[in-house]
Parts: sequence; C-alpha cells; structure tokens
Amino acid sequence: MIAFQNVSKYYEHQGVLKNITFSIQKGEMAFLTGPSGAGKSTLLKLMYLAEWPDEGDIVIGDFHLQSLKPPQIPHLRRNIGVVFQDFKLINNLTVFDNIAMALRIKGVSEKEIKNLVSEALKKVHLRHLSDSYPRSLSGGEQQRVVIARAIVTGPLVLLADEPTGNLDPNTSIDIIKLFEEINLQGTTILIATHNRELFRNTRRRVLKLDGGNLIGEEIG
Amino acid sequence: MTLAYSFKSAFQSLCREKWINILSMFTVASSLLIITLTAFFLYNVELVASHLPDRFSLVAYLNDNISQEEVQGIVDTLKKRDDIAGLKYISKDDAIKELKQTLKDARYILEGLNENPLSSSIEIRLKRDFVTSASAKRISEEIKKVSGIDDVYYGEKVAEAIHLLKKSLQNMSIIIFITISTGVVFVAYSTVKILFYRRKEEIEIIKLLGATKGFIRMPFLIEGGTIGFFGGILGIIGALLFYFAITYRLSIVIPLLKTLVFPLEILILLPVTGISLGIVGSVIALGRLKL
Repeated sequence: MIAFQNVSKYYEHQGVLKNITFSIQKGEMAFLTGPSGAGKSTLLKLMYLAEWPDEGDIVIGDFHLQSLKPPQIPHLRRNIGVVFQDFKLINNLTVFDNIAMALRIKGVSEKEIKNLVSEALKKVHLRHLSDSYPRSLSGGEQQRVVIARAIVTGPLVLLADEPTGNLDPNTSIDIIKLFEEINLQGTTILIATHNRELFRNTRRRVLKLDGGNLIGEEIG
Repeated sequence: MTLAYSFKSAFQSLCREKWINILSMFTVASSLLIITLTAFFLYNVELVASHLPDRFSLVAYLNDNISQEEVQGIVDTLKKRDDIAGLKYISKDDAIKELKQTLKDARYILEGLNENPLSSSIEIRLKRDFVTSASAKRISEEIKKVSGIDDVYYGEKVAEAIHLLKKSLQNMSIIIFITISTGVVFVAYSTVKILFYRRKEEIEIIKLLGATKGFIRMPFLIEGGTIGFFGGILGIIGALLFYFAITYRLSIVIPLLKTLVFPLEILILLPVTGISLGIVGSVIALGRLKL
C-alpha cells in the first residue's frame, strides 16, 4: 500500500531524509519513531505532497507520486486521511462542518454527508459535540474530531503525525485504541510519534528514524 | 452539491465579513450610479443632437433667367439621388420676401434696390447618414455639375460641428464607462483579495484535504458577483431617488428640467453590469493568487 524507494529530501543542501526505503502492507498499522528533528513529519508530508521528494519514488496505492501531475494532487489527498500534529481545524465551523468538509470536497451529497459524519462521530465517541466549535473543545476532543475528519471519507491510508503530542497519558492510550479499532476495519495506518509508550506491547512494526536515516525497525 | 456548498460558504462569508462587504457594495453602487447619470446626460444630449441633422441643408443657387421647365428638370435630377431626403424650391420673389421678414425692423437696408438681387434656389435636405463634412462637400460638388445650377452653398462648419459633437459624445461615454468599470473591477478585485487573505489558513487546510482550485475559487467568485449585484440594486435606488428629485422637486423650480427624458429601462442593466464586473474582478484577483 505504501512504498518508499530510495527517497531523499533536502533543505538548503542539507539532507532531512536520506535514501529512505521501506514498505507498509495493505491493512497494516505501523509506527514511525525517532527523536524530534529526525524527519518523521517530513516523511509523512511527502506522502500527501505537502512537500516534494528530491530523489526516489513513493507509491501510495495506485498513485506513483513521481509522475503525478499538479491537477492530480487533490485526488491523491482525498484518498489519504491525515491527523495533523496541530489539528488544522477550521475554527469558525462546527465539529459537524469540519468533518463534513472532507466529504463536500469529494462532492458527496448532503444527505449522505449527514449519515457519514454521524457515523464518524460515533466512532470517535463525540456525537454529543456535533454542534460545538473547535475552540470550546479540549485537546483530546479536538484530536478525535481530526481523526473523525480523516476517516470519514474511507481513505486508502491514514497518516497520524504525533497524534498524542498535546494529550495526557490516559487520553493518549484512548486515541491509540481508537486507531486500533479503525485498523480492524481494514484501513492502513502509519503513526509518527516520539513517545515510545504508545507502541509498547502493541505487537506492531516500528520504523526507527534518526537524523534523516532509517536506522532499522522493531516490533513494539 | 458542490455548487450548493459554494453558495452557502459565500453567504456565510458575506455575513461574517459584513462591514467590508457593505463598504464594497456602496462603492460599486456609487460607481454604477455615476455610469447611469452619465448615460442619462449623454442620452439627453444625444436626443437634442439627433434633431440637428434635420435642420442641416445645402442650398443650390440657380442661374438667372432660368425657365420653370429647367427648374423642374433640375428637381427631377436631384430627386433621383439616394442621399437626398427632401427638396424645396425657393423662387427669387420668395427669397426676397423671406429676407424682408428676417430683417423686419431693418428693412431700410433694402430700400433703394431697383431690382431683386437674389437668385432663385433649391434647399436640399440630406439624409441623416450623409450629414458629415466630407459627404456634404462631395454631394455639393456633384450637384454643382448639374446644368442650370450656378453655385452650391453647404454649411461646412455646421456639418463638421454636428459630426464632431456626435463623435465626442460617443468617445466620452466610452471613456467614462471604461474608467468607472475599471474602478468597479478594482473594488471587487481588492475585496476578494482581502477576503482571500483573511481565510488563508482555512484555504490551506481545505487544500490539504484535497480541495481543487475550482472548489476553493467558486465561493469567492459568487461573493464578487453578489457584491456587484447588490451594488447594482443600490445603484438603482440611487438613480430612482435622483429621478424623483428631478421630476417632482427640482422641475418645480427649474421648469426646463421637465423636458429631460429618463430612460428607466437602463436601470435593469445595473445589477447585470454589477455581477459581471464583480466576477471579472474576482477572476483577476484569484488568478493572481497562488493556490
């Protein structure tokens, strides 16, 4: 489902990611770990083309990013659910409309949007906050809204960038449990985190990144 | 469905940023009102100017001692031309009578004249399209060649003035329309650009969610068009207030204003013009923004 082949990324001639090669199978849930500045966020950004790789090839499902033309980028992004580190919620829209936005972009009918959003809110246990605005929610609740928005379109891949970075340990465990539930339904998931506690005893594959190099992998 | 969302989003933005939108609507309205009042002024001047060609004529002076048959022959020849609208034969006697009437209190000027010094003539009115300096000159030269005609007088300066007046009015209306329209486009351009930057963060988010350029741009185009439309509606209100002020207030003091004609049907064009110019401004603004 996800394949990186000798991918490198440079910022001002400095390698942020160097010759990265790995793959993640369809339906797999894996972790990407490493210290701050290791290149985790950049690696995720390359997958939804918020950043472009300087070398190598990335394949996501049927999308070969190297040969992707600019007008095809929105199509790629609609097939990838992203849980952003800084949430990226639209503050003047309600929880419902924030989640519905991902579907409206896809051109889904309003009737269908109502059902799908309601279902997604149920999955993240936030149905009672449908009409609330992001600013009135706690960090954990906002994170759940972001997850609901990422899964509501039924993406090929779900990417999460430090999804528990701003949360307390109990809420963090709840969020990981939520990812486990989503993965059980067949969604491929890659979670970037520096918090080793998150993948301890999960029996999931963990890719280790340091200084822009993929230095190995282990089972959590 | 996407279009319904675009309208909803545009409406929400219009309400959220109401002050900047209201300000833009009033600016557009003022500009459209200026266009309307200019059109109204030009329409009335054009109306007056359009009657001037009817008063323009050539005068063909006939040879002395010309017979009645010869005069009829000349009239028949001239009538065959397709640039002449009408003819009027003025005999020597009619000419002196007319002169006496014109001079009225200064008739003594003519005292002492033993014989009528005036020539008989034919007054020739040209068709509207031929009332230009060049046409009048060409026609007069052609007529001069007709046997029995001594000379032809054509008001070169009058014809030129009429022609120039019409041309100037047309050019002036085009310049005013283009200048003010550019102003309206610029208002829509600036407003959409400001609204875009105010929503930049939101736009960045929806881009990451997979929104196409069309999805991002559509609400702004609708917003630009709506500002233009309501600017047009406000323009109509302004123009009607002006019309009622002229008709029911000022014309009591200045009766001449009663003769003014106000073509109310042009007001229908204001919202349409507003929408068009608003969308053009938005298209230019969005085209220059990096999406």
